[in-house]
Amino acid sequence: MSRFFATGSDSESEESSSADEIISKAPGGNFKQSLLISDDEEDTKRIVRSAKDKRFEELTNLIKTIRNAMKIRDMSKCLEDFEQLCRAFLKSKTIVDKEGVPPFYIRLLADLEDYVNQLWEDKEGKKKMNKNNAKALSTLRQKIRKYNRDYETEVAAYKENPQESADEEEEKEAADSGSSSDSEEEGEEEVMSAKDFLKKKPEVIQDASAFLKKGSGDESSSSSDDEDGEDWGSDTVDSGSESSDDGEGKHASIAAVFLKKEDKPGDKKLGKKKKIKKKERIEEEAEEEGGEAWQEVKGGMVMEKPKMFAKGTEINVPVVVKKLNEILQARGKKGTDRAAQIELLHALANIAAENNLGEGITVKIKFNIIASLYDYNPNLAAFMKPDMWKKCLECIDELLDILFEHNDIFIGENIAEDSESLIISDQPFRVRGCILTLVERMDEEFTKIMQNTDPHSQEYVDNLKDEGHVCGIIDRLLNYMETKGSTEEICRIYLRRIMHTYYKFDYKAHRRALGLPVETKSEQDQEESEGEDSAVIMDRLCKFIYAKDRTDRIRTCAILCHIYHHALHSRWYQARDLMLMSHLQDNIQHADPPVQILYNRTMVQLGICAFRQGMIKDAHNALLDIQSSGRAKELLGQGLLMRNMQERNAEQEKIEKRRQVPFHMHINLELLECVYLVSAMLLEIPYMAAHEFDARRRMISKQFHHQLRVGERQPLLGPPESMREHVVAASKAMKMGDWRTCHSFIINEKMNSKVWDLFPETQRVREMLVRKIQEESLRTYLFTYSSVYDSISMGTLSEMFELEIPTVHSIISKMIINEELMASLDQPTQTVVMHRTEPTSLQNMALQLAEKLGSLVENNERVFDLKQGIYGGYFNRDQKGGYQQNKSYNREGRGGGYQQNRGGYNRGGYRNQNYQNHGNQGSYQNHGNHGSYQNHGNHGSYQNQGNRGSYQNQGNRGSYGNRGNHDNHDNHDNHGNRGSYGNHGGYGNHGSYQNHSNY
Amino acid sequence: MASRKESATASTAVMAIPAGTLDSPVNQIQIEGLVVLKIIKHYQEEGQGSEVVQGVLLGLVVEDRLEITNCFPFPQHTEDDADFDEVQYQMEMMRSLRHVNIDHLHVGWYQSTYYGSFVSRALLDSQFSYQHAIEESVVLIYDPIKTAQGSLSLKAYRLTPKLMEICKEKDFTPEALKKANIGFEHMVEEVPIIIKNSHLINVLMWDLEDKSTVADKHELLNLSRSNHLEKSLQLLMDRVDDMSQDIVKYNTYSRNVSKQQQQKHQYVQRRTQENTQRQSRGEPSLPEEDMSKMFKPPQAPPRMDTLLIAGQINNYCQNVKEFTSQNLGKLFMAEALQGHN
Repeated sequence: MSRFFATGSDSESEESSSADEIISKAPGGNFKQSLLISDDEEDTKRIVRSAKDKRFEELTNLIKTIRNAMKIRDMSKCLEDFEQLCRAFLKSKTIVDKEGVPPFYIRLLADLEDYVNQLWEDKEGKKKMNKNNAKALSTLRQKIRKYNRDYETEVAAYKENPQESADEEEEKEAADSGSSSDSEEEGEEEVMSAKDFLKKKPEVIQDASAFLKKGSGDESSSSSDDEDGEDWGSDTVDSGSESSDDGEGKHASIAAVFLKKEDKPGDKKLGKKKKIKKKERIEEEAEEEGGEAWQEVKGGMVMEKPKMFAKGTEINVPVVVKKLNEILQARGKKGTDRAAQIELLHALANIAAENNLGEGITVKIKFNIIASLYDYNPNLAAFMKPDMWKKCLECIDELLDILFEHNDIFIGENIAEDSESLIISDQPFRVRGCILTLVERMDEEFTKIMQNTDPHSQEYVDNLKDEGHVCGIIDRLLNYMETKGSTEEICRIYLRRIMHTYYKFDYKAHRRALGLPVETKSEQDQEESEGEDSAVIMDRLCKFIYAKDRTDRIRTCAILCHIYHHALHSRWYQARDLMLMSHLQDNIQHADPPVQILYNRTMVQLGICAFRQGMIKDAHNALLDIQSSGRAKELLGQGLLMRNMQERNAEQEKIEKRRQVPFHMHINLELLECVYLVSAMLLEIPYMAAHEFDARRRMISKQFHHQLRVGERQPLLGPPESMREHVVAASKAMKMGDWRTCHSFIINEKMNSKVWDLFPETQRVREMLVRKIQEESLRTYLFTYSSVYDSISMGTLSEMFELEIPTVHSIISKMIINEELMASLDQPTQTVVMHRTEPTSLQNMALQLAEKLGSLVENNERVFDLKQGIYGGYFNRDQKGGYQQNKSYNREGRGGGYQQNRGGYNRGGYRNQNYQNHGNQGSYQNHGNHGSYQNHGNHGSYQNQGNRGSYQNQGNRGSYGNRGNHDNHDNHDNHGNRGSYGNHGGYGNHGSYQNHSNY
Repeated sequence: MASRKESATASTAVMAIPAGTLDSPVNQIQIEGLVVLKIIKHYQEEGQGSEVVQGVLLGLVVEDRLEITNCFPFPQHTEDDADFDEVQYQMEMMRSLRHVNIDHLHVGWYQSTYYGSFVSRALLDSQFSYQHAIEESVVLIYDPIKTAQGSLSLKAYRLTPKLMEICKEKDFTPEALKKANIGFEHMVEEVPIIIKNSHLINVLMWDLEDKSTVADKHELLNLSRSNHLEKSLQLLMDRVDDMSQDIVKYNTYSRNVSKQQQQKHQYVQRRTQENTQRQSRGEPSLPEEDMSKMFKPPQAPPRMDTLLIAGQINNYCQNVKEFTSQNLGKLFMAEALQGHN
């Protein structure tokens, strides 16, 4: 199947697919070629054969099902199929007229009639039948009687001598279909096998003769039946009979099958005689059988070409336009052959050119040719074939040529069809069409082609060579547009140009910047190197877009490309500033996926650029988002992740595939990951060392930690192989402050070839990296081992880490200033004196414990809060009247002094408190205004007055001793040991207290 | 522990004293030096690190005094010899001891501990079964680490009557515990211990003390014990974490309860409203429905574990307190010494 798709049989042939696709396809494939080469008469013959085969095969298939139905006495199925058969037969009337009624058809009619009659007479059996079947039987009987009247003679003839007629037909058939040399043998063989068949299996089959005929019919009608043999196990029977024959026979039969299958080369020779006679019939068939598109087109082409313009018609512009419209009307319709349409348009263009109808019409036709080239593929996913693509490029080139040559042609999408002026006159031509759209489409097609080519093949390289051509076209159009186009159009074409520029590293400019002589190998190189730097071009184009563009999308894309380009060329500050100025981070999530992909690419490039510049933190931040998701591949549009189908159906997958960035624009993922991991290492290792005992230490990079863990889990540690393992090994070395080992893990042959050599300024990056490793190792060393030293000489440190003393000095000073290192510098002796203020592990642990206890207390209080809510009435159990009287006093007292005393607490709650109302509890968020407070108000006591009701509850109980009901709340007992009773002192001078003690 | 429980019940048969017939509760425990030495020896020979050794105490009650006169260890048994019959072993041991005229009455058990972490569910269960069967049973907790530091740590504990009741009912819901009014400090009580030796041994001890050099006593004055403290803190922290978790669990439970309570309340209100409406219309009121079926109360988290954790935390705190106060004392002493020199 796929082979034929690949060679480009049109999709129509799919529709004609029947049991044997190979047969119907093979001519299709051939035809395709012949269309391009010549109109060979032989092909027409083949068409006929194919049509006949197809029809007959349809019939035989139906017959087969009928026979099956007969066998299982399924009358309704029988009836249904019979009706279908009649219809199919009617359809193939043309062939039947030519070939005569096919014998197998007659055979079936006869058999069916016999069968039906037999059933009809079998009263017993009829009674047993179910209702449907009985009904079908009577209908079928009537129908077949009526139908057979037309074929009375044939049926009668058959009935007289079934076997003989079968043989006869067989021979005839074989001779007819086979090649002249093979036909005899083949015919014999088939007959023989058929006879064998009969001899061997008569008792098995209900109707032996019928089977024989059917069998031979099958074979004569279509070779594929031989193979398929799905019916009655005829396949096995066949092979059995064959094997019993002598080798020659077997060989012949295989040959026969083979011959038929194989494009019927014999037919060509045979067909030549008939072709003239048959030609008319072909036309008829073509019309009749819409399904066979290639056939129709073929006919159409042959006939239409001369017909395009009747002989002698004066060919002028209106006529051509009319014809053009005629052709275009077929566009998009089902059954239209697009290839042929293109051909026609080309022919029309030639005619127009021959007759000197002027450029206007040529341009118009060209537009349409290109449009139909784009139309050629039925769906968006498919990409252009190379020849189509070539043609398309040529056409656009020609079109541009014309446009450049003739300045007086106006083109535009908004020129109405009827206001076009195509006739040569003094006025300029006005043509409807948009060259920009065409070029944009071309660019997309190019992307599509690149997406669909295997990036590791030579083909990809070949395709990539077209990029220059595409760029050339875009450049030319850009020039054209600059003079003629509107601002928006210029913006659009500029963006196209930018899109082709931003990801390319400008080596020439790079070398020039380095002051190296630009090597020129050829004229072309020379020419190129004299052109502007891509940076200048980018700058110019982007600035134009920033100024002029009104659609947000183009500007966004332009900015991103600009940043990318800056970053690619290590202009870090420009890139960063542009990124920050654009505020794209804030709203990029609203953009469409392709722009988001571009954004991701830009961010990544920015991060890599920062890394090259030694801005490790910036690099890490820029890459964090992309790397932390673990889907870098997908986010950058460089491949699909394997995911299960629930998350993404086929449709989505197609869409995602279309978004992929072509391979030559890819960012190396390993480089990306390595840059990220190394940045993370440089940040994380000193951080980890500094916060070794911090309970709430946060991770800077989860992914890096993940890698470390993976490394730790390895049961056996060999020398690192992959990039990740290198980084992990380096991290371990760095943890110990061993910068030399770390260095050797990060920068070595393997890593160079894998990662570092991919940077344009490899050497500089490596130097930067070494330096960073030294510095961070020094920091890590100081963090880790500062507790071991009383003092350490900076000279020693500088020696250890091969850093100059000023650098060491500055690093240590920075650490001291940031309070990371508790030490001081002793200038005269050049030593660092440690202060030893870091907590010991015991102290650390005590701190941790304190923290944990804090959270425990908090949790506990939450429980208590809730308890007050639920058991609101609980505390009121022992309420006494006297308490309540007191309460009013309390309130007053509290309103004054109490609030003042407890300034730090949330007074609002107190003030508004309705002491008796338990329903208000929702409003006390602060623990100070704890629910329990209200309840105690009823008792007139101050048990919970402290802000921490639960704490002080106990204490109060002890001091006032007025709690009769206290034993009931056991949970309060827990608080007995709590320490924070200090606040109590403040209560002493409280007015309400004094009152309180009265009871 | 189940097997131990069985052994305890089994041993009641042997014991002549039925439960609950003690005239006066045991106020004091008198331990033979032999028992102490045997326990220490048992641990030194079999226990390492955090592993725990256990054994049976033998003795009898005299007035308000429980005299522990002998003991024998349980063998450490692994998963492999699951068919080891502990009851059988105990009975055999006691019978054999009786033959040689040693006290053979079961009066409790002993266990070693690691940094004072012994308040656990397992201990509670087995002590309960002991005390249930033999009222005067105690558990002796031996802390080898402290002992190694120079101060013998041997403590006798038993469950309070309150806790015994709760355990009998096996109801550890918050309500039940509240009703019983039990806190972690009321769970176990310590019984004072007297270590009694024969006069001959005492004389020998005095003699030995005279002979021992000063260096042997230095153990007591060692100052660098932060490792011990760290370990204690570590364990304490773990327990605090557990506690936090339990509290969070309880918190969610109470929240659920209150939510349901509200729903129930609302439902009842709606019901009564509807009923009054119906009554005013003269229709029959709605039938009563089973509330408990509609609002199934959420499963209350068992609170016993929390209590145990609290008890354990208390224990750790006591340990740390004791330890630090000792150390502080030593430090002050060292300072004074230094100043003096």
